Amino acid sequence: MTEAYLGIDTGSISTKGVVIDEDRTIVARSYLWTEGNPMQAARRVIEDLGSQIDHGAVQVQAVGTTGSARRLVGAMTDAAVVKNEITTHAVGTTYLHPDVRTIFEIGGQDSKIICVEGGIAVDYAMNTLCAAGTGAFLSSQAHRLGLEVEQFGDIALASKRPANIAARCTVFAESDLVHKIQMGYSREDIVAGLCKAVASNYLNNVGKGKKVAAPVVFQGGVSKNAGVVRAFEDALGMEVLVDADGHLMGAFGAALLAADAAPTAATKPFDFDVAEFEFKTREIECGKCTNHCEIICVYRDGEIIDAWGNRCEKGAVKTAR
Amino acid sequence: MADDEQSGASSDLAASIADTEGGTGCGTKGDARGDVLMADAEGDLGGTPIADTEGDSSAADGEKGGIGLDDGRQGGASFASGGRRESREDAVGSVRDGDADVRNARIWLQLDKLRPPKLVEPRKRKKKDRHARTRVAFFRYSYYDIAFKYFVEQVLDADFVSLPEPTKRTLERGTLNSNDFVCAPFKHILGDFIDALESGADVIVQFAGPCRLGYYGELQESILRDMGYEFEMLNFATLTGKPLADYIGVCKKKVNPDLSVPHGVRGMLAVFKMIECLDEANDYYLANAGFEVEAGSFDRALSAYHGAMRAAVTERDIADAQRNGLEAMKALPTAKPVDPVRVGIVGEYFTAADATSNLGVERKLLTMGVELHRMLNMTNRNLRYNEKNLRAGISDYVKFDMGPTSSMTIAAAKRYVDEGFDGVVHLKSSGCTPEIDCVPVLQRISREASVPMLFLSYDSQTSDTGLDTRLEAFYDMIARRKKVLL
Repeated sequence: MTEAYLGIDTGSISTKGVVIDEDRTIVARSYLWTEGNPMQAARRVIEDLGSQIDHGAVQVQAVGTTGSARRLVGAMTDAAVVKNEITTHAVGTTYLHPDVRTIFEIGGQDSKIICVEGGIAVDYAMNTLCAAGTGAFLSSQAHRLGLEVEQFGDIALASKRPANIAARCTVFAESDLVHKIQMGYSREDIVAGLCKAVASNYLNNVGKGKKVAAPVVFQGGVSKNAGVVRAFEDALGMEVLVDADGHLMGAFGAALLAADAAPTAATKPFDFDVAEFEFKTREIECGKCTNHCEIICVYRDGEIIDAWGNRCEKGAVKTAR
Repeated sequence: MADDEQSGASSDLAASIADTEGGTGCGTKGDARGDVLMADAEGDLGGTPIADTEGDSSAADGEKGGIGLDDGRQGGASFASGGRRESREDAVGSVRDGDADVRNARIWLQLDKLRPPKLVEPRKRKKKDRHARTRVAFFRYSYYDIAFKYFVEQVLDADFVSLPEPTKRTLERGTLNSNDFVCAPFKHILGDFIDALESGADVIVQFAGPCRLGYYGELQESILRDMGYEFEMLNFATLTGKPLADYIGVCKKKVNPDLSVPHGVRGMLAVFKMIECLDEANDYYLANAGFEVEAGSFDRALSAYHGAMRAAVTERDIADAQRNGLEAMKALPTAKPVDPVRVGIVGEYFTAADATSNLGVERKLLTMGVELHRMLNMTNRNLRYNEKNLRAGISDYVKFDMGPTSSMTIAAAKRYVDEGFDGVVHLKSSGCTPEIDCVPVLQRISREASVPMLFLSYDSQTSDTGLDTRLEAFYDMIARRKKVLL
C-alpha cells in the first residue's frame, strides 16, 4: 500500500484533478468542464480519478484544493490544504521546472504572471477587473467564427499575416473582429490575430511593469493553444515552454502542498466515497444585524458541514465539524 | 516588456501628465489642516466656471465677448444705434431669465457677466428653534468618528449624531445616487450622509479633500437636496485659505450662534491631540496585533480604548485614556518572532485608511501574522504634513507634487523598502488619478529594491473573494521568499 495525494483545481471553466504518488509523480489525471456547477464537477473529477487508480495498492492520504471554488470543494472533500491558485501554480511549476524564471498562466476567467527567482516566487500580478484576453474571450470568439476553440491553434499557425485586432477590451475586439471578417480577411489571419491580441493584451496589462526573464513557462487552458504560444514567442523573442501537464499545474501544486502538510489527528485517509454523498449548498441571509450578510451553508446528506460569508461572530453557524 | 529604462521613461511620463494636471485637476497643494478645496476641472463636474471669481468672469467677458452671438459692445457693427442696442439688451435679459440650461451654457462660454451658477440653489430656510441644540453628523472615516464627536461636542457645543456600523444598504444607496464614474469614497460618504440624515441630523459636515474630494461637498449637498432632505451643510472645503473669523462665522451661523470662541480654540487643540493619540495607538495595534496569543485580544483592547477615548471630555481624560489604552495593549501577550514578516500599506487617503472602504485589508493581513505599518493617517497627512520634506527624500523619483497623497505614497513605499520590509500593499479607489500616477514609480521602486508590491483597486464591490485570493497569494509569496532567500 503506497501513499498518494489528491489535488483538485476547480476553476470557472474547467475542473482539474491529479493524484500523485510518494515520489510526486502524477499517477492519475482528469480534466472536465465545470459547467457552472463546481460541486458536481469536482465529484465527476473524483470519480474519474478513482477509476484510474488501483485502490488496493494506493491510498490517498490527504487532499488539497485550489481554484475559485476551493473552499466549497475543500469542505466537500475535507481537504487538508485549501490554497489560492497563484501559490499552487508557483509550487507546482517550480517543482517540475526548478530553473523557471517567469510563469504565465491564462485560464478561463483570469490570468496571472508569477516571477520566480531561485525556485521562489518573488512577485506576481493578476488581472483585475476585465476578463478580456482570457480563455472565455477566445471561446466566445470561436463561437462567433463557428469554430471549436480547440481548433484555434492549428488554424492560427497556418497564418502568414495575422490581422490586427484590438484586445484591450472584449467589446472593441468584437467590433474589430466583425469589421475584419466583413473586409474579407482570411479565417487563418483572423484567428492568428485573435491569438496575437490575447498575448499582447496579457503583456500590456497583467505583465505591465514586470520583467520577463527566460525560461518562461506558459500554462493554464489557453497554453494548449499553439497560436497564443507562438504569439508570445514572437512578442518576447524567447522560447516559451508549455508542459504537457501545464493545464493541471494548479491541481498538481495543491497535491504537493497536501503531501507536504504535516498529517494531523483530524486528517483521515480519503476514500473516494464523496461521490456517494449528496452535497447541497444554501444561501441564507443573516438577520442578526443590519448588514444582512449572505451566508453559504454546505450540507452533506442534509447535515451541515461548513458555512462561511459572515462578517462577525453573530452570524457564525454551528457545523458538524 | 518594460526594462529599467523604459520604466524610467514611463514614470517620467506619468509625472509629466501629473504636471499638466497640476494646476487644475486632482493635483494639489498640501494644507496643514487638510480641508482644502480643490477646484477640479474635469469636464463632467463642470468645475472650471465654478472656480471663476466674479472678477475673472468679467475680465474674460471683456476678452471673449466678441465670440458671442449677442454681445452688442464688441460684436458691434450691426448694432450701431443706441435704441437698437437697448432692445438687444432686453433680449439678453429675457434669455437671462430663461431656463437654467441656456443660462449655464452662456456662462460656460463666458458670454456675459453673470456669476457662476450655484450648484445648490438658494432656498428659504426653515425657521429653527434658536434654543434647540443642533444635531451634527460627520461621514464615517475609520476610527476618527471619536475625534469628530469631540469636535462637535467640545468645539461646536452641539449634539453629535453617532452613526452605527455601515451596512450594505449604506453603500447601495450611496452608489445609487452617485455618478457611476465618481470614485468610491464619494459613494461611501454619500451613503453615510443619507444614514446620518435618517438618524435625524440637522447639519452634516464635509471637509475631506486633498483632491477632488474637496469639491464633493457641494455636489453631495446638491444630490441630497434633490433627494428631498432638508439640512445644513457645514462644508469646510469652501473656507480654505480664509481667516479664522470666517470659520467661526460659518460655524455660528450653521450650528451654534452661542459658540464660545476661547472654549472652541482650546477644544480644537484637544481634537488635534486626540487625533495624534488615536493614530499612535493604531500604529501599535497594526504592528503587534498580528502576533496576538489569544485571538481577538487586541481587537477587544483597541475597542475598549476607543470607548474610553469616545467618553473623554477634558484634556486630562484624553491623556488618561491614551495611557491606559496603550498600557493595556502593551500588556497583552504576543508571540512575535525576532524577524516578522513586515508589510507597509500605502495609498489613497480614504481607501487606505478606512476599513469599510478597503474591505478590512488590514485585519486580513493581521490574521495572517504580519507586522503592518501605515504612514498615511490624519496625523501624518494633515497635522504634521510637510510635502517639501517628504519630496526631498524621494527626489530620485519625483520632481514636483503630483497630488494629494502621491508624495506620501511614494515616500512611504521608499521608506518601507529601505527599511527592509517584505512587501508593500498599495490601495486606491478605482479611477483615482493621483494614485494611478504613483503606480509606475512604485513599480520602479519595487524592481530596483526587489520588494514585491501588491496593487489593489476598489470600487463599490462588497465581495472579498478576489481580495482574499490576492492577499493570501501575496502573503504566501513574501513569507516563503523571506524564509528561503533572505
